[in-house]
Amino acid sequence: MHVCEQAPATGECGPAPGPEPARRRAVLRQLLRRLLSGAAVLLGAVTLTFTALQLAPGDPVAVLLGPGTSASPQVRAEIRAEYGLDDPAPLRYAHYLGRLARGDLGTSYQLQQPVSQLIGDQLRPTAELAAAALALTVLIGVVIAVATAGRRPGLRAAALAWESLALSVPTFWLGIVLVSVFSFQLRILPGAGDQGAASLVLPSLTLATPGAGALSRALREGLEAALAQPFATAARARGLSPTGVTMRHALRHAAASALNLGGWLVGTLLAGTVLIETVFARPGLGSLTVQAVTDRDMPVVMGIVLTSALVATVVFTIVDLMQRVLDPRLRVEAVDR
Amino acid sequence: MGDDGRGGPARGPLITPALDPPELCVHPILSVRSALGLLAVAVLLLAGCGPGTSAVPASGGRPVRGGTLNYAVDAEPTCFDIHASQQDVTAAMLRNVFDSLVAQDDAGRFHPWLATSWDITDGLRTYTFHLRHGVTFTDGSAFDAAAVRANFAHIVAKQTRSQYAASLLGPYAGTDVVDPHTVRVRFSRPFAPFLQAASTTYLGFYSPKILAADAGELCAGGPRAVGTGPFSFTSHTRGQRVVLTRNPAYDWAPATAQHSGPAYLDRIVIRVLKENSLRVGALTSGQVDVAAAVPPVDARSVGADRKLRLLRKDVPGIPYSLYLNTSLAPFTDRRVRIAIQRGIDVDRDVGAVYFGQYRRAWGPLTDVTPSYDATVRQSWPYDPVKAGQLLDEAGWARHDGAGFRVRDGRRLSISWPVVPTYLRDQRDVLGQAIQADLRKLGVEITRPSLDVGTYLALSYGNKAQMLDFSWSRADPDVLRLFFNSASSPASGGQNMARLADAEVDRLTVAGAESLDRTARDDLYGRVQHDVLASAATVPLYAPSSILGVARRVAGVGVDPNAWPLFFDAWRVSR
Repeated sequence: MHVCEQAPATGECGPAPGPEPARRRAVLRQLLRRLLSGAAVLLGAVTLTFTALQLAPGDPVAVLLGPGTSASPQVRAEIRAEYGLDDPAPLRYAHYLGRLARGDLGTSYQLQQPVSQLIGDQLRPTAELAAAALALTVLIGVVIAVATAGRRPGLRAAALAWESLALSVPTFWLGIVLVSVFSFQLRILPGAGDQGAASLVLPSLTLATPGAGALSRALREGLEAALAQPFATAARARGLSPTGVTMRHALRHAAASALNLGGWLVGTLLAGTVLIETVFARPGLGSLTVQAVTDRDMPVVMGIVLTSALVATVVFTIVDLMQRVLDPRLRVEAVDR
Repeated sequence: MGDDGRGGPARGPLITPALDPPELCVHPILSVRSALGLLAVAVLLLAGCGPGTSAVPASGGRPVRGGTLNYAVDAEPTCFDIHASQQDVTAAMLRNVFDSLVAQDDAGRFHPWLATSWDITDGLRTYTFHLRHGVTFTDGSAFDAAAVRANFAHIVAKQTRSQYAASLLGPYAGTDVVDPHTVRVRFSRPFAPFLQAASTTYLGFYSPKILAADAGELCAGGPRAVGTGPFSFTSHTRGQRVVLTRNPAYDWAPATAQHSGPAYLDRIVIRVLKENSLRVGALTSGQVDVAAAVPPVDARSVGADRKLRLLRKDVPGIPYSLYLNTSLAPFTDRRVRIAIQRGIDVDRDVGAVYFGQYRRAWGPLTDVTPSYDATVRQSWPYDPVKAGQLLDEAGWARHDGAGFRVRDGRRLSISWPVVPTYLRDQRDVLGQAIQADLRKLGVEITRPSLDVGTYLALSYGNKAQMLDFSWSRADPDVLRLFFNSASSPASGGQNMARLADAEVDRLTVAGAESLDRTARDDLYGRVQHDVLASAATVPLYAPSSILGVARRVAGVGVDPNAWPLFFDAWRVSR
């Protein structure tokens, strides 16, 4: 994007003064605000996690060495000193932030590998799973909503029943059922592991189910509200088919409100990967998180929290921008302010 | 091997390495998940996940070379460094990659492996090993006396942060290279358990080149884990699989193996399937050839499947037991400890929770441990009447409104922490059965749920009244670790009962200073009876490694540590 550093009034860059530069300036201001608040969220996440890990009971070195160790108290003291665990908490916090600023996430206590490498390796399978599940969520949600909005009561009732079921079925159970049917019985899909696209089908379907239920319900309500609006009547009067009205006119309205679900949906998907990765024995950030929290592996926990906070910030920013695209009123407000 | 025969975070006090995936944080999820587990089982039954119908290939016959074996395990090593990790699953997997100086057989005798012979001198303080000639690591470097010295130096180095191997070296004082094929290992005290320790994977040997270059990265496993074993460590994908490839140059199998020369299989692909139903389903549907840790609830159906068979081995060492802290009230009174010992219906509880798949334990060593004394059997049968009388005598004769015994206005209540991280084998369910038994006796058992850090602080600070765990080790010296008064948890021991018995101290030290089998049997037999008589422990069950093996695979073995061996394995049909 072209960035105008000078005041538009001088006319040094950009077109003549007018509504365009004003809007652009407003968008820039918005973006800057977004970036700043994103940075604040990251700092807050790091600080909170650091504090929580300090408050957690027990000695990290004892946990690191495990209950079966024969290490003498002297050896433990040496390890404590090496990790700087005897320094006061504020000093360690400052050190951590300093390393973070240089892009160093540290080394895992337990796995003895760089945290950035561990997270980098595990990010791909989790991102694939979340992306596939998100695509399925949107696909299933939109298809069902469009097919049933404003249609016969029987069809709507069936959709409602499906949505209630999708929202309430425990994903763990659903996963086991899908694996036993499609992998162990029919043997048409791999049940576990990360071996190409086929192994993504069952886990992403399991992960997508609750979100798809929520989305199709929200979208259908939005569609039905939009279809009751005068513009829908006008479109029908112009001779558009019911599906045409839904797709071309109502969907945009409904999508704006359904997008509010977006943040929640992505959060749920990311959290859900922990369980899904366990059920389907997939690698990923979920399994890494479980292990790191269990082992009190502070550098890994901090790294994962940072990554999640980063992903959340980016997702919320995107959702916000999309809402602006879909709903012109939001753009006008931005300029007015 | 680490804890009892299974993987899991802890090799140690195996309070319970997680059989299920470790579930962090969320306790509500735990209960939800166990309920879901039952549901899942029901669904599997409904779905008819039973025996298949295809023909069963005959096992046996002539070994065939080649093919890949798919093996499902229930836990993934946190750290693949055999010198650092305390995990059973690490040692079990890497048994195929690393060789030892000596090999132990099921009777507890030692046989040549990388050492062709050895002399023990200086009152068990010096072990001189004569090394086999012509042994090479898979990176081409030679296995010699200098390699032995470099490996033992790596184990005791502070940077290694050894969770277990260093303790196996005991009072290690140093290693001398006498000549390229003779190495002398010295100890500061007589150390009889060394041969057994030297037979485990934990004291296996890395190529000295790797120790010099990559010592800091051994935890990650993969091709840098270079050993002399029948397979080399080709790759590890975290959360996914480990691939081992045949070492074609291998020609130094131990005397305990079934054949010599290289292994039969080309590859072993080890997949991590933590979820029980997934692992068992993968075995019964033919997606894997061997599955570790078949849960007791599934053992019968797997055993009944004509395409499968079960390989079962009890884990040597300390059975899963309760430890009653003799230094804290009310267990300072031996009568109260005996009452707990006699007031638990171990036969019924263990039988009900494990469907008869795990055997109840009678002594502080499991039956398969060398120097196990069979006369402990039936020596402390369930006797609630006697237990009640003992509590009456100890002054806990009156009952409060809730039916619990009281003395001087205080309830007879015992705190027995549970650590969800270590939980496995449904030990929480067994705990409920024990709670119910003792409730009948008027004893209240509370089970606070603790994280590892809090648990260790409690244990090291001697604030835990009652604890539970098992420990795998194929040597009776493990009794010293558990019941010698010098082995307090804070000092690196496991005497959670804080037993301080001069006779037990003397006998366990004498045992570590003798290699004479008869003398050891006598010394350790007395320790086993003394420990039971002190009622510092209530042995519950012998953990068992239950391996499910498809009949299209033959020759799979299990070593004395209950670790599966694939050196002699081959595919009957490919």
